[in-house]
Amino acid sequence: MAKRTMQEATFLILTALASGSQHGYGIISDVETISEGRVRLRAGTLYSALERLRVDGLVRVDREEVVESRLRRYYRLTPEGKKQLAAEAARLQADAATAFGRLGLAGGRAVR
Amino acid sequence: MTDTEALERAYRRWLRYYPKAFRAEYEAEVLGLLMDGARAGQRRPAPVEYLDLVRSAACVRLCPRVARSERSVFAAIKAMWVGTALEFVTVITLVATMGTVRANDASQDPGFSADQWHATVAARIDPNVIGGLVAIGFWLCLAWSIGRGHRWPKVALPVFFALNLYGLLDGVLHDAAATSRPDLAVAFVLCLVELVGVVLVFRAKVATSTSRVGDYPSLP
Repeated sequence: MAKRTMQEATFLILTALASGSQHGYGIISDVETISEGRVRLRAGTLYSALERLRVDGLVRVDREEVVESRLRRYYRLTPEGKKQLAAEAARLQADAATAFGRLGLAGGRAVR
Repeated sequence: MTDTEALERAYRRWLRYYPKAFRAEYEAEVLGLLMDGARAGQRRPAPVEYLDLVRSAACVRLCPRVARSERSVFAAIKAMWVGTALEFVTVITLVATMGTVRANDASQDPGFSADQWHATVAARIDPNVIGGLVAIGFWLCLAWSIGRGHRWPKVALPVFFALNLYGLLDGVLHDAAATSRPDLAVAFVLCLVELVGVVLVFRAKVATSTSRVGDYPSLP
């Protein structure tokens, strides 16, 4: 059975967490930076995605702290999350290389 | 009431659309994030925030909440969707062919009256349409419950299968003359789908017992 490709928001959230644990606001800011302002996650979308990722075992809570009487929870990738992010990145890279190759642009690979 | 208090109250009202388990886990965080992102003097959520909260609450309530690695669960959900589609097609066919049935009855009996037609609808068509609609609701409910990791489909699905199998065998063995071939074919396919669903639900032992909302790994 073909494996489902990852949604862009999921990919960006996992990428934001790849370099270390982050809290919700940090993830939103990082996703905006990574996507060069193209993707602006909202609170509801972020937490429903985080819940999904926790159920899938790709993300876990790293630690909690209270800042100015508000709960701040830090999330981090699990080993399975790192593995799936790496696999998805490799798939996207291969697809992009093929596209560049067919367009005759730099960074492409020869495709018969 | 200050602007901040009014805004927090409004956000809390909209967060009620999420399931209780989700709110217990995330409400404080979501609220903190929303409040941190609020403009000075803002008293009500922006329309785009309403939409985001409602959309993601619907997603949290309706989408499967078992790990994607539990393939048996997702295959069982797909089987339930196939059952829903079959029942839907059956109901649509029943309704769409009412005119043909009436024309047939009228051609066989020139004195066929409107009262006779109403009696036919009440006796032969309405029960099947209502039964089909109930079955659609049941299939959807099964799909949702399997996706949430509830256990009752493990009991309900085999019972559903046994009832339909009994109906199919009864139609084949005792009532073959009165049961049309398309009816038997649909009943046969539905039984097969239910059997597949039963097998998949029982294979997904881990998913239906542990991977439920709220069963999160604890902090290290």
